[in-house]
Amino acid sequence: MIEQRDRSSKVAVNLPELLLRLDNDLDLLCELIGIFKEEFPRLLQALQQSVARENATQVEVTSHALKGMLSGLSVTRAAAIAARLEQMGREGKTSGLADVLTLFQREVADLLPELDGCTRGMGL
Amino acid sequence: MKILIADDDAMSRRLLEKTLEREAYDVTAVGNGRLALQQLSLPDGPRLALLDWMMPEMDGPGVCLGVRQQHERPYIHIILVTSKGSKQDIVEGLQAGADDYLTKPWDPAELTARLRVGQRILRLEDRLVEARETMRFKATHDPLTSLFNRGVIIDLLDRELIRTRREKGCTVVIMGDLDYFKDVNDRYGHLVGDEVLREIARRLLTSVRSYDFVGRYGGEEFLVVLNNCVSAQAVARAQEIRNAIANQPVLTERGPLPVTMSLGVLASRDWGLYLAEEILGAVDLALYQAKADGRNCVKLAKPPALCDAPHELVR
Repeated sequence: MIEQRDRSSKVAVNLPELLLRLDNDLDLLCELIGIFKEEFPRLLQALQQSVARENATQVEVTSHALKGMLSGLSVTRAAAIAARLEQMGREGKTSGLADVLTLFQREVADLLPELDGCTRGMGL
Repeated sequence: MKILIADDDAMSRRLLEKTLEREAYDVTAVGNGRLALQQLSLPDGPRLALLDWMMPEMDGPGVCLGVRQQHERPYIHIILVTSKGSKQDIVEGLQAGADDYLTKPWDPAELTARLRVGQRILRLEDRLVEARETMRFKATHDPLTSLFNRGVIIDLLDRELIRTRREKGCTVVIMGDLDYFKDVNDRYGHLVGDEVLREIARRLLTSVRSYDFVGRYGGEEFLVVLNNCVSAQAVARAQEIRNAIANQPVLTERGPLPVTMSLGVLASRDWGLYLAEEILGAVDLALYQAKADGRNCVKLAKPPALCDAPHELVR
């Protein structure tokens, strides 16, 4: 059963925590978001393909990479779901992968605009 | 201090890079394990490394194993950066040769603190290596002249004789003794005598090739082992040494002192299967002959079969 909840009430990025880790370096934040925007769509697509092909090994590798990127930007909930996918991939579980992927996609659906909002909000 | 970052995630790599540059590290960042091992294998490569666990081509533990197989390299402190947090993963990483691990997302304060620990360990390792090298030098060298001590120069001679016999080559052995050195000590004191010995040692070293051996055999006696030397050149080489000593007085705090050396010389090829001890006895005898023939000269030691002929004197 997929968890249903209202995303609009919660932001995906824990910005205060992220800024603390970046020592309030806004230029670096902007640079990291730039890298993320370049890398994320490619990895998400790779994950979708791996799930569709039920390739557990590839699911593990791609989810691991996504988890690293997301946790690096303090996108904690999405990172936790990526960790779940990674674990399933490691265990070779293919049933239920599509459901968790859907959950993941829902979680990151507004992520890129939100990140853009972060940079705009800081006048970057 | 140089540090290596290896992470295939460009974002994570950049974040680490920036954080470490702020801490004044000299950062090299690479995107896979193979390049990481390549960097860590460079002679002057980084001695601190932050390695991501999962990387293309070679993972973090694989890089650790590769680094730890390079026994001759100075120690490298490796921290695995990972989002793998299970006890089993951590044990695996440490068993592969990592010194520490850091969990993603890492905290900058924790990262820099762990790197400082790494630096402390490396400094300690450097001090231990330096102390070991100092001890090794003291155990093998004469404290006054810094030449090889008697035990070591005899061992080296032994080794060279075996090698040249095997390769059918020739080792030239020269034993030199300063003439009237006791008079220098008696007249000017032992400190001046020490100055003379140090200068003679320096001249001996500059008279031979970098791969020859020079040792202090006794008080004012020196042993020179010339590796792969042509037998016919033995006497000429000994003459060069004699000239290097006799041609210039030694400058001491009591003024310039003329110093000469008598030398016995032997070419191992002429001697065949003799022990180092016998070779030393023979070259010592030639030296004795040089003393008896008026000093400041070179005498060539001949093997017993040729001993009916008088020692060849060269001045």
